[in-house]
Amino acid sequence: MPETITTTDGARAIPEVAMSTTSTLVTRTGSWKYTRPAYHDRVAPCNAGCPVGIDIEGYLNLLREGRVDEARDLLLAENPLPAVTGRVCHHPCENTCNRRTFDGAVAIHAVERAMGDLARQRPAPVLKGKRRTERVAVVGSGPAGLACAYHLARFGYGVTIYESAQEAGGMLRLGIPEYRLPREALDGDIARVVAHGVEIKCGVRIGEHVTWKELTELFSAVCIATGAHTSRALGVPGEQLPGVQPGLVFLRDVNSGKRPDLGRHVVVVGGGNTAMDCARSAMRLGAKVTVAYRRTREQMPAIKEEVDDAMREGAEFVFLANPVEFQEANGRVCALVAERMALGEPDASGRRRPVPTGEHFTIEADTVLTAIGESSALEGFFGDVEGSDSGLQVDALGGTNRDMLYAGGDVTDLARTVADALGAGKRAAIGIDRHLRRHHGDTAELNALRFADGNLSAVRWMGRDPIRRVNPVNAVVGVDDLNFAQYQRVPRHADPHLDSDRARGGFDEVNAGLSTAEAMDEAKRCLNCGVCTQCDVCLIFCPDAAITRAADGSYTIALDYCKGCGLCAAECPRGAITMTQDRP
Amino acid sequence: MSQLRIADCVPEGDLLTSGHLACPGCAAPLAMKLALKALGPNTIVVMPACCFTIIAGPWPQSSLQVPVFHTAFATGPAVASGIRAALDTQGKFDTTVLVWVGDGGTFDIGLQALSGAAERNENILYVCYDNEAYMNTGIQRSSATPWGAWTTTTPAQYPEATNKKDILAIMAAHNIPYAATATVAYPVDLIDKVTKAKAMRGTRFIHLLSPCPPGWKCGDDEGVELARMAVQSRVFPMLEVEDGRRWRFTMEHAGDPVEPYLRRQGRFRHLSAEQVSHIQAEIDAHWQQLVQRTAQDALVPA
Repeated sequence: MPETITTTDGARAIPEVAMSTTSTLVTRTGSWKYTRPAYHDRVAPCNAGCPVGIDIEGYLNLLREGRVDEARDLLLAENPLPAVTGRVCHHPCENTCNRRTFDGAVAIHAVERAMGDLARQRPAPVLKGKRRTERVAVVGSGPAGLACAYHLARFGYGVTIYESAQEAGGMLRLGIPEYRLPREALDGDIARVVAHGVEIKCGVRIGEHVTWKELTELFSAVCIATGAHTSRALGVPGEQLPGVQPGLVFLRDVNSGKRPDLGRHVVVVGGGNTAMDCARSAMRLGAKVTVAYRRTREQMPAIKEEVDDAMREGAEFVFLANPVEFQEANGRVCALVAERMALGEPDASGRRRPVPTGEHFTIEADTVLTAIGESSALEGFFGDVEGSDSGLQVDALGGTNRDMLYAGGDVTDLARTVADALGAGKRAAIGIDRHLRRHHGDTAELNALRFADGNLSAVRWMGRDPIRRVNPVNAVVGVDDLNFAQYQRVPRHADPHLDSDRARGGFDEVNAGLSTAEAMDEAKRCLNCGVCTQCDVCLIFCPDAAITRAADGSYTIALDYCKGCGLCAAECPRGAITMTQDRP
Repeated sequence: MSQLRIADCVPEGDLLTSGHLACPGCAAPLAMKLALKALGPNTIVVMPACCFTIIAGPWPQSSLQVPVFHTAFATGPAVASGIRAALDTQGKFDTTVLVWVGDGGTFDIGLQALSGAAERNENILYVCYDNEAYMNTGIQRSSATPWGAWTTTTPAQYPEATNKKDILAIMAAHNIPYAATATVAYPVDLIDKVTKAKAMRGTRFIHLLSPCPPGWKCGDDEGVELARMAVQSRVFPMLEVEDGRRWRFTMEHAGDPVEPYLRRQGRFRHLSAEQVSHIQAEIDAHWQQLVQRTAQDALVPA
């Protein structure tokens, strides 16, 4: 007869050989650890880098799961004009993409464009929530005005936009050529804004047809988004000569269907997007184009792709050339005299400052288009609203020094891009909503609406974030937080372009864009930085079998057994696990 | 999908329980967890003295949900041969007998028993999880310790002076049906190999690199990364050998320089640039030998 012994789990017969009767679960190895892992969803750099404040990682993640409608709704909840920004945005999101050093940034613009074009064929989402009685006026129907009106409409307000031109769109319609932004893409996005109940009154100039006083009496709040439509003058002799004209005026003519005769040789002065638009439009009118810029290619503020395209289409670039005089022949400009510059120390913008060398040279010109920047015409419009030559001064929510007056876009002194304007319009909309609801949140509340230190999220403001976030931390995930060993290289989809000869021959869209299928593929390249996708890497690599999967696919860490080795956090492909020091 | 497939390639369920006594970040229980996913519950483990003797837990506990037979250092394959015979007598042909043992019990102390079992082509699966020294007893060198490495018996002034034994070639020379290398950095590859071995009969041998944070003097969270670097720098290539003749690589190897792999580990901190170059030259020479051996293999680089 075997003898019996008493063990921790009761009396047992002693077997013939020493045999285990229980598992090691009685040993709480969790007491060994001094660091502990936790799941914390963090912010992808694209989201933080987007001036509009789009949950880019969020909608790419939904696309990865095939949830196309939800992805579209999430994109549209933050950005009213995806078909526009997918084409013309300078996409800083891609410059911050953690994939860029691995095998190329995700082509976010191409995915956004495909989503924007898809959204055009679908009805606008049904607006839920309480309608509000207050009405808001928006002055200007450019990206800032449209965004402000769109978000206010989604918050429940009645909105009227006043547009002085005959058609809505502002600089998107008057400044950006059709070969970059076909009018059906712009019209489709604007139609969706209108479908949200926004009224757009074109051909109405505030201060002329309606006074500012009337406006402030008729509406509970006003958003000023009139843009910046005045080309800055070079201030050099001969600028008044026939044949020298502001680039913006030229673009406005071309974009309204006119085809001015520019002569044989056109010189464009400037290195920004307006300069590139002028150069490429002029080439399409048959001119030979020279771009004169006072710094070098590296310092050009234009979107890199636009410079590439201009070069591909045959524009000649003369760098380090600063105009000093326009020469006249037969009552018209005939040449530009420029001074050769050299690069000096960096200036306030961080770019190297051009310094004169004293050497002069001449470029022949039948027409000169100046595009060295725009300023807003503030004359008399706003009376006592504070501002300077560089634009109106606004706070973090677009508020001016006047209680009910908000502003956004190029009319303010902030960055002048389409994306910044859309973001400013959203901020003003949230500002106006807070103002009218007499909601006075603190800075912390406002910061919780941001993607890290990026723009505000309308989805978060409305409390309708469709993404389930695990213990979110509002901090950006850097490239060092990722584990690229868990990814394979997949080349980025390149945008197909019209060949240069065909492109130069007309105003057809140059960038043909990706097909929907290609765009969906591209969306799958997203690394989902900082956001758990339930990929099981942590579960598989835990040497202590301390991670288990819950019914909803999320993970639980048995801290009684986790020894704090950190392999889960080290192996997590996307930095969604953080190790924190254990308290003694 | 740009993430490497892993979730749907690794079976659910663990036969390793939490609360085992491995050090934090030890690769051995991770390797065991993955191997048992492939082998399933119809497995008997024979365990000669090694780190895992401790990891398995003190009596009356066990961290493995399959029978484990602890044996003396030199006797793993002999005991396994006996258990196999007993199982066969009872008609339990589909039970896998797994010998799970470290490098000391394989390269040094258990080598004759292993050679004997392989010569008889005993129907057992032998996994050597190799952490490159006698870690459990205090990091003494074994014949698996790489040239130049620090251990407590090969201090930095007089580091390991002999090359690591080529155990895969030794086992392949027994013309056993299956011999392979594997490591925890590539769980899908590891599970594929164990699954393949499980389906075969005869002596099957897997040499598994198992990083040891205390012995390698690396961070607790660095083991998997080091194993990956060992493979990609060709320190520990991923191979299969069938019947001792057909050699093949089971993945592509980037051929990264060995230096970053060495510099991440305190046990190599004392190495001079010349010594690192020597190690690189040895790796390159061994790689050339492997390229010749695998000449029929589609994965051989041109």
